[in-house]
Amino acid sequence: MTDAAQHPSAKHLKKRYAAEARFKMYGRLAITIALAFLVILLGRIVLQGYSTFTTNTVSLPVYLDPARIDRADLSGSNYDYLVSLAVLKALGETEDELGTMSEDASALISRDLGFQILDKVKADPGLIGKTITVTGPVKADADLYYKGEIKRSVAEGNRKLNDRQLTWLDRLKKSGRVHGGFNSAFFTHGDSTEPEQAGILGAAVGSAMMLLVTALIAIPVGVMAAIWLEEFAPKNGWTDLIEVNINNLAAVPSIVYGLLGLAVFINWLGAPRGSPLTGGIVLALMALPTMIIATRAALKAVPPSIRDGALAIGASRTQTVFHHVVPLARPGIMTGAILSLSHALGETAPLLMVGMVAFVPGIPSSFIGGATVLPVQVFIWENASERAFAERTAAGIMVLLAFMIVMNATAIILRRRYERRW
Amino acid sequence: MVVKVNMQTSAPTPVVGTHANQAPPAGEPAKITARDVNVYYGANHALKSVSLDIPGKSVTAFIGPSGCGKSTFLRCINRMNDTIPGCRVEGRIGLDGDDIYDPSIDPVSLRARVGMVFQKPNPFPKSIYDNVAYGPRIHGLETSKTGLDDLVEASLKRAGLWGEVHDRLKAPGTGLSGGQQQRLVIARAIAVNPEVILMDEPCSALDPIATARIEELIDDLASQFCIVIVTHSMAQAARVSQQTAFFHLGSLVETGPTGMIFTNPKDGRTQDYITGRTG
Amino acid sequence: MKKILGTVAALAVMTIASQAHAARDYVWGAGSSTVFPFATRVAENFAKKNGGKAPKIESLGTGGGIKLFCSGSGEGFPDIANASRPMKKSEFDACAAKGVKDIIQIKVGFDGIVIANDKDSPVYNFKLDALYLGLSAQVLRYGKFVPNPYNTWDDVGVGLPGNKILVYGPPPSSGTRDAFLELAIEAGARKFPLLDEMRSNNEKGFKNLVDPLRKDGWIDAGENDNAIVQTLVKTPGALGVFGFSYLEENADKIQGSSVNGVFPTAATIANGSYPLSRVLYIYVKKSNLGVTPGLTEYVNEFLSDAASGRGGYLQGRGLIPLPPGQHDGQKALFKAGTTMARPAA
Repeated sequence: MTDAAQHPSAKHLKKRYAAEARFKMYGRLAITIALAFLVILLGRIVLQGYSTFTTNTVSLPVYLDPARIDRADLSGSNYDYLVSLAVLKALGETEDELGTMSEDASALISRDLGFQILDKVKADPGLIGKTITVTGPVKADADLYYKGEIKRSVAEGNRKLNDRQLTWLDRLKKSGRVHGGFNSAFFTHGDSTEPEQAGILGAAVGSAMMLLVTALIAIPVGVMAAIWLEEFAPKNGWTDLIEVNINNLAAVPSIVYGLLGLAVFINWLGAPRGSPLTGGIVLALMALPTMIIATRAALKAVPPSIRDGALAIGASRTQTVFHHVVPLARPGIMTGAILSLSHALGETAPLLMVGMVAFVPGIPSSFIGGATVLPVQVFIWENASERAFAERTAAGIMVLLAFMIVMNATAIILRRRYERRW
Repeated sequence: MVVKVNMQTSAPTPVVGTHANQAPPAGEPAKITARDVNVYYGANHALKSVSLDIPGKSVTAFIGPSGCGKSTFLRCINRMNDTIPGCRVEGRIGLDGDDIYDPSIDPVSLRARVGMVFQKPNPFPKSIYDNVAYGPRIHGLETSKTGLDDLVEASLKRAGLWGEVHDRLKAPGTGLSGGQQQRLVIARAIAVNPEVILMDEPCSALDPIATARIEELIDDLASQFCIVIVTHSMAQAARVSQQTAFFHLGSLVETGPTGMIFTNPKDGRTQDYITGRTG
Repeated sequence: MKKILGTVAALAVMTIASQAHAARDYVWGAGSSTVFPFATRVAENFAKKNGGKAPKIESLGTGGGIKLFCSGSGEGFPDIANASRPMKKSEFDACAAKGVKDIIQIKVGFDGIVIANDKDSPVYNFKLDALYLGLSAQVLRYGKFVPNPYNTWDDVGVGLPGNKILVYGPPPSSGTRDAFLELAIEAGARKFPLLDEMRSNNEKGFKNLVDPLRKDGWIDAGENDNAIVQTLVKTPGALGVFGFSYLEENADKIQGSSVNGVFPTAATIANGSYPLSRVLYIYVKKSNLGVTPGLTEYVNEFLSDAASGRGGYLQGRGLIPLPPGQHDGQKALFKAGTTMARPAA
């Protein structure tokens, strides 16, 4: 009997442990690198975007000068001019002959205030001649100054706001006319070309509506197709061909589905262009192969003993599948569904072809009307030249990510609740 | 149970149980009659020309070495081989005289008359109550809630499980121990009021105490059902069955009363197997 | 199960029903991504003032927008095509073939194409021929056409810095690229008598020779001009080509180069002294006026002084307004409904 320490395997033992330690280290290194990228990416986005959530609001008493408001053409009157005069009054300044003072002043206040006055005057023309208080955001560049993005240290010619405007902004803040606060407009408004009025709600609702359509089509069709292919279809050349094609379709670039949507749904079937319905159908087609593949994998994972037990008690094929196999495959099916939907949520290219890359102010109200979705909104803001849209782009990405996290969390909770063990 | 050591051979001869010598009720026509049954898995000829009579209200054991075809033949009786792609069954198997492979016979209704218990207990991942109630529900045997409750209770009692689970019928069936799960599966099979219960090595995955309980149960059930049990354990076959059939390499070698097979087999291959020289 | 099938059926019915319902009750414009910021701002203000449905403006690129515009008349196709270059003869013919005649061409303003670099780097003063020699894939050298041999800017122009030639610019799908090619590269090439003659004789051949840009110095940077600005800040030796509004917005980080001695400002672009200035157009289907609700009012809003006039809200977004005389002329043109003639090119 040889001593354990002198067993021939002892020499190799050191090498084996060393290899294991190295492997563990590689694993830790990989995870660390992945987490680091994630932290850097998220960190940059959050750093760039968090300033969106605060904004500066101004409150002004505005005199509705009857000389400057045309009762016959309320829409044509220049309310922005009235607002800029109100600013000058609040600062104790007066207008000069060339109008440069009011021009500088109007660059500080959002045009939203002018539209508020228009709405009020339309509703009650009796207000003309009175002084009303209007509250609204400061203009985007003024907001950037308050947030420190526009600095006095930069030469005057190279900034959007001149020295006089910056001084006025300081005075408005000091006098309490301007105060900072939470940017609720970002969450309650739809898209706008003015950054201070732009919000994410329109795109969020559009995304939700579109995902609903995608889910209602892709999930039932995908699950049923997978069940048929896995449990009922005869195993012959035709089903092999179908399986190969489904696997290939899962890898097809998403823009191809956009072209399909354009050619078949819009041009041939006349579906409404740029609507959540059409976008949802296109993305459902894109999500279908993934759904089928994930469901088939979940069905394959159910052990044959369950099927045998059900068949042996006299259950028919259909009863076996729907009473026994599918309930056990549910966690896998749900994971597949959430993965497909998360993928669909972030797609832009196919939507370009069906007309969803468009400016859509307001909140979408119907499935067949125009709408836009979160990734498209981020894309549109990214391409805008105004500096204030840069922080909103990052904030839009944060909302998109939050959406996905909520979706995935819901899936995990539902899975935990309904998971069964066999 | 005492194991007698036979001095002439290296392995002990199984002791024949008290029921083994009892002949099946005389004069009763055979419950299951098989004539010239051949089974092919693709090109592989797995079962060659098996002809066999299985009496009702008794226990018949199929024994033989691994791969001899006994499980294959068992699965023919409730047409479970239909679910295996590439499997072809030829010949005639009669249940009470009617050929079960006749095209007019629906396997779903056949399996209500011929139940099956598997080697690894496979209760449904439902509650104990739902496990037993599933069969009667889908076959429409019982529709009222109270009727179903009574049926579940009766089946669990017959399977000897009621006492242990009556207070937790809503608990998952998979939460029971191995032996309890197997009795639950038997209760599930009984609940549809079958005529035949097929058992494919039902005790292989259980410990000796659970095995003993199952064997007692089989003993009890034999008065009511036709039971066919495939077993690797010759001792078990000797203990519980009245009839034994010995399979070897896809053919039925010998069949007869259990006592005779184990003490005085006619075929040399049978002798070799039971004395441990082969298998 | 039944519920799901029911919902799917309902969606199918909705799709078919929407076909019947499809009367478009909003204005639809599509095209240039350069005109997009202006068209959308007009759309938003138009909707706020009049309370109706906001016009839908799609950003497809000038070529894509005109193509969709020309695919047919009727409510299934846009009312307006936004363009950062004039419509080509081939596009006009394609329109006519599909029944889209009577197109009103309206100039809405100017845009400047700037060549910019990082503020801390030396300023570039380009002559047009330097741009051609520095960027075209094939250049004329001693009477022959050779693959571009120049590596640094001082090789192609006296007084230019000695940096390696590296320019980030719009991809071939962009209208800005088309405009840059015509105003800078082709204009620079025509400074050489041989090439100018070639252009008079065989314009297509001239374009095919001069338009392709070198792959080792010119980088197609995608449609994202903000990304180009960021790249310039990080890569001090590089240049970028994009619209004037991005220079205005980021004047604290980047600076424009002069071309033929003129720096890009609102004034020089408007009066044409800055060579790389182009006109922005919208093309309107005359037959849709009065049919699509709000179309006439939308175009009027676009042409109004409050929008595209001096000091209007589009100027705040980077549009260089037409001189008041030309502006009034466009208003009159639209009012009269004068349709465009077949383009010469």
